[in-house]
Amino acid sequence: MILIAIMIGCILGAIIGVNIPTIPYTYSGYLAIAIIAALDSVFGGITSTLKRNFDMKIFISGFFVNAILAMALTYLGAKLNVDIYLAAVIVFVGRMFNNLGTIRRYYVEKITNRKIIARAEATIKQANEESKNKEN
Amino acid sequence: MNKEKIVMAVTIGLVCMVLMTVMFAQFRTVEQTDITGIETAREEELRTMISSWKTKYEETSTQLEETTQKINEYNEKAASTEETSVLLDGELQQTSMLVGKTDVTGEGVIITLSNNEDKEIEYTDLLSLLNELRLAGAEAISINDKRIVNMTEIVEVNGTILINEERVTSPYTVKVIGNQTYLSSALSLKSSGFIDKYTNLGKTIKMTLEKNIKILAYDSGNNLMEFKYAEEVQE
Repeated sequence: MILIAIMIGCILGAIIGVNIPTIPYTYSGYLAIAIIAALDSVFGGITSTLKRNFDMKIFISGFFVNAILAMALTYLGAKLNVDIYLAAVIVFVGRMFNNLGTIRRYYVEKITNRKIIARAEATIKQANEESKNKEN
Repeated sequence: MNKEKIVMAVTIGLVCMVLMTVMFAQFRTVEQTDITGIETAREEELRTMISSWKTKYEETSTQLEETTQKINEYNEKAASTEETSVLLDGELQQTSMLVGKTDVTGEGVIITLSNNEDKEIEYTDLLSLLNELRLAGAEAISINDKRIVNMTEIVEVNGTILINEERVTSPYTVKVIGNQTYLSSALSLKSSGFIDKYTNLGKTIKMTLEKNIKILAYDSGNNLMEFKYAEEVQE
């Protein structure tokens, strides 16, 4: 259900994004920062889903507020002649790597656990069969 | 499938849509922008470059406007200068003649007044003659080669007559340029004419008609034609 919603959303977004008029180059910096912030929120959401403490309100608010804040900081940086957007990029990308690491570990552990369980089951099965053969 | 799940799915779908929209818009922007030209310069540098070019462009356009305006003015002036110079020349000539700054020639009369044993010519005689001549349309007058201009005085100081602040003595030769017929007939009217009237008083007055009289320009060491106090009223 959620997967379908994500796919439909992505396809619709891609179509709209291709068809809307081009954004002027001056504002593309702000947009880029907003995209990084949004992506960070998405990875954060996936991580929290895996950890089973996903909260819809926190995800949505983080998604928009982070993007807007990042843009506002970039604007402030432009006004102050300080490249504040670099700090935003570092923070968001760092968090993205953290979240990606968490996701990776989760799946690696999951696969490893499955293998261990499978091996244990196989051992048990073998032991059972051996005991049956002995009885026979 | 409860309501909460549907809301969640729709929200996440919307969020995904927004994200993808912005991302693709950005992709297109980055693709379409000419990166190669801008790559080497930072945004600030580009901004300063743009603003400096803008200022230069504005300055140049103002200059162009001013120059075009000037050219137009000059063209207009050039067109009107020839006309104006011809007009001015004419006006200057006329004014010079009028104020007596040029030598003039033409037909006219010469009147000679001289003292005799009985009567002397007085300055009032000369003044009344001048009046008569002007009434008769005299265009240029001189007495003993002293040009009579609008600032000329004819006065008597201690028995001598001064014209243009210079002494003149008898005989007084009055040269007049104007219509000979008018002048002579005005002066030689019976009984009321100048010559008759003054001859009757016993004064010696002779008048001759001349075809070609030359009257010299006003030429006096005293700068009677300079204005020290009068100024033209600017409207």
